[in-house]
Amino acid sequence: MDYWKTNIGMKTPTLFICLLLLSSLSMGQAKYGTKTGAILFEASVASFEEVKAQNENVSAVLNTSNGEFAALALVKGFRFKVALMEEHFNENYMESSQFPKAVVKGSLKDFEMSKLTEGVSEFMLKGTITIHGITKPLETLVQIKKIENTLVLETEFILKPEYFEIEIPKIVSNKVAKEVFVTATFSLSN
Amino acid sequence: MKKKIVFLIVMLVLVVGAYTGYKYLYKDHRNITKEVAILETSAAQLQAQFQNDLAVGILNKTIQVSGVVTEIEGKTLTIDEKVHVSFTKEPTALQLGNTVHIKGRCIGYDDLFDLVKIDQAILTK
Repeated sequence: MDYWKTNIGMKTPTLFICLLLLSSLSMGQAKYGTKTGAILFEASVASFEEVKAQNENVSAVLNTSNGEFAALALVKGFRFKVALMEEHFNENYMESSQFPKAVVKGSLKDFEMSKLTEGVSEFMLKGTITIHGITKPLETLVQIKKIENTLVLETEFILKPEYFEIEIPKIVSNKVAKEVFVTATFSLSN
Repeated sequence: MKKKIVFLIVMLVLVVGAYTGYKYLYKDHRNITKEVAILETSAAQLQAQFQNDLAVGILNKTIQVSGVVTEIEGKTLTIDEKVHVSFTKEPTALQLGNTVHIKGRCIGYDDLFDLVKIDQAILTK
């Protein structure tokens, strides 16, 4: 019997397309994001001028159906207290005209939207970080709180400029810490 | 007498040197508000320039952009869903659908949201 000519056979593709559309719709709703995340880093050495900058316009997206996470900071968006420091950071160290973006991509291990509460839940983010055109693996613990319809993500980690082939000239090397302390906060909503 | 003059000159050189050194190390931040925009454009045109790799010489420059407000979030707003603008002071009395003209510093292109990003902005009209 020509079973593909039966009624059911005719309807299957339509049903399939409908399901596909539905699933893509729900996928769209599963994305939480922000355009105003904050990243703060500090590489101060005691008794010298503080080396600290903040970027309050970092974009981030979390796919709550599979835990995939991405964040993008525009390097020129980091603001320092001292103007000359900001200039050196952009022109000499990060070369931000050539490498304008700093990107984190990864996924939160065992992430489940239903696990989240107003209290802190912790997930391991495994992925990569790209700075100064160089990509390195990144593993960091992310704390997530769900406050009403907002997911507040917080994490901190340490980076070494040398990993990203960022050279700190000898003359200032004792004034800039070898390890840069980074904290990030994202209030994601959909 | 001669010693006194030499001493005074040395002092003067030191003071001037210290002052210029201090001025160099602690110079002021750029004042985007007072800078003249190098480009006046629409949000759509600006985004197209970045998407087609034609945004040469715009990065870190002061530009003027116009369009319709499509999102407001704290100190920031999005114009035509194409340009994200961060203000120095929270703009008051703005509503979705308003046409705005802003001036600010272009810091680059965000390919997570497909937006051009601008900071230190002010409303010009």
